[in-house]
Amino acid sequence: MANLVKIALRNLFRYKRRTLLTSSLITFGVVLVIVFGGLAISFKTQMIGILTNTALGDLQIHRKGYVESIDNLPLNITLSASDLTSVEEKLSNTPQVGAYSPRMKFGAMISNYAQTSNIRLSAVYPEMESKTCPDLVKRIEGDVADPAHFVRPGEILMPENLMKGLSLNVGSEVVLVATNKDGSVNGVTLHIAAMMENVLGPSGKDGYIHIQDAMTLLRMDQPEIVEVAVHFRTFDQLPTMYDKLKKDFGGPASTMEVHTWEQLSPFASIARIVDLLIIVVKVILVSIVLVSILNIMTMSVYERIAEIGTIAAIGTPPRRILLLFLMEGLSMGLLSAAAGTVLGIAILLLLNSTGINFVFGQVNVSLAPTIPGSELIWTILIVIAVSVFASLQPAHKASRMEPVDALGHV
Amino acid sequence: MYQDGSIIVNITEEIQMDLIRLTNVTKSYRTGEVSVPALKGVSVTIQGESFISFIGPSGSGKSTLLNLIGCLDKPTTGTVIVNDVDVSTLDRAAGAAFRSRHIGFVFQNFNLIPVLTVYENVEYPLLMLSHVPLKERRERVLKLLDKVGMHDQKDKYPNQISGGQKQRVAIARALVTDPQIVLADEPTANLDHTTAFNVINIMHEMKKDRGTTFIFSTHDSKIVGEAEILYTLEDGVIVHEEIKNRK
Repeated sequence: MANLVKIALRNLFRYKRRTLLTSSLITFGVVLVIVFGGLAISFKTQMIGILTNTALGDLQIHRKGYVESIDNLPLNITLSASDLTSVEEKLSNTPQVGAYSPRMKFGAMISNYAQTSNIRLSAVYPEMESKTCPDLVKRIEGDVADPAHFVRPGEILMPENLMKGLSLNVGSEVVLVATNKDGSVNGVTLHIAAMMENVLGPSGKDGYIHIQDAMTLLRMDQPEIVEVAVHFRTFDQLPTMYDKLKKDFGGPASTMEVHTWEQLSPFASIARIVDLLIIVVKVILVSIVLVSILNIMTMSVYERIAEIGTIAAIGTPPRRILLLFLMEGLSMGLLSAAAGTVLGIAILLLLNSTGINFVFGQVNVSLAPTIPGSELIWTILIVIAVSVFASLQPAHKASRMEPVDALGHV
Repeated sequence: MYQDGSIIVNITEEIQMDLIRLTNVTKSYRTGEVSVPALKGVSVTIQGESFISFIGPSGSGKSTLLNLIGCLDKPTTGTVIVNDVDVSTLDRAAGAAFRSRHIGFVFQNFNLIPVLTVYENVEYPLLMLSHVPLKERRERVLKLLDKVGMHDQKDKYPNQISGGQKQRVAIARALVTDPQIVLADEPTANLDHTTAFNVINIMHEMKKDRGTTFIFSTHDSKIVGEAEILYTLEDGVIVHEEIKNRK
């Protein structure tokens, strides 16, 4: 085998320029997959992290029918007290659950006494919310001394767009007016605790208040929770836990429904497009490797017909001739994949050191592109597999040559 | 003599086993719709440790005959027995295995593998025989390179040596597996007079040392002069046989 590898490598470097050109092309393809994959995966991971750790949680539990009407923020599709109790009991006793946060969500009018606008409000228990969405406080402008109390009764966290649009400042007084589920209108006065980057809504109109203020505004004796956001200890547990919680709360007989972040956020479609683009880039790589190796190996066989005849005549078995050409294709793929991997990682490290900052929607994103080891291994395996596959036909042709015909080839 | 004019040749001066036996062998090639006969019922018996030459004009069937003996091609009809094996029945892999053990080849154009050094070219056929250990391989290769006077050139590549040197390497390669038969198709055609003479001498020495049977197809008068048995082919038929003094 060592001898086969030696001959294969020497044959490759026999036509240095051609080998170098083909290898460069494959290397470029590998670099493309690694760099694009690194950027795309990092972007997707970071965006999912932002969404789940600042707003959505990993998974949410609602009363059945709520998600269908989620754009209207209905106040009459709430979890019953008994459902909420069973959910909280279950979540508290599930070790994989890191935290959960009951929420009320509703629309309101906000006024600075001169101008009025509409706002989407999430009423939360801040100590539970900050554990369920641990990065939420990072989106709040200025230092938050106590994340567990990022919003207190009598305060409101205002989205950046509304703050600027209504010319408000931290500490300014605003009036919230809302209609409860019975049609009764009420208002409360709150002070602005801080301004926050908007994450969820495209129009940047999502604010936070304490659940106690929501109860006052909506004239409730008890909090009427519309959703429970859940954060798992590790994000990887989501698929398993989703199945488990869906079985517990999302069955046909249940009055509740369970949704992952993917089912709740439009970004899931973008994430799928990103995945698709990664696949497209990999398909491009496969095409590059397939065409390049097939071309170079076919040329190699045609140029060496007499040589193939010679080695066959002096006793080389057909299987060994097949292996020799497969080894050439494999070596070419392996060397190019190795070069592409080194170059790709170097580019990712460079990008990492310089940093990539941009605004996606209304969210500041700072990418630190990395690529998982498994992706690297898959990329190398793809190149190797396609190289061998592309070499098969020329190698088979070489191994099937009649020595007498091959020797007579000029 | 057969009805078609071919001759059964038996060397009877020495009691030796038949190494090669061709019986009523024909070979035709198809060119489009036309079948072109290259051999027309050749029967010949060759015994071991011989220095044999097939001569004749181009297209007379010399190379075809060598290809059949060398198990590189199959007869259209007839049988080719080499070392008691009907080589016309061997498949591709079995043919390769047979050649690697019993037959060496020397080509007109030397046909050295360009990516291998002189040493590696000679070693190559031994690698096809899986049972030869590294130490033995090295000994056999270096001994042969020494014999053909190429020991000091062993690390050079074929493009770094002359035509005569290439043919000497090719002879070493043909002999390294210690085959009973070496087939040489116009081995001196691309060599100058002195070099050709040296190459023939090397082959003679090898025949004496190892008892190898050398079979040539040639136009070269130097080889013709050195042959122990001379067969003349015309239009696919052996028309003349001349037994000369065995050396």
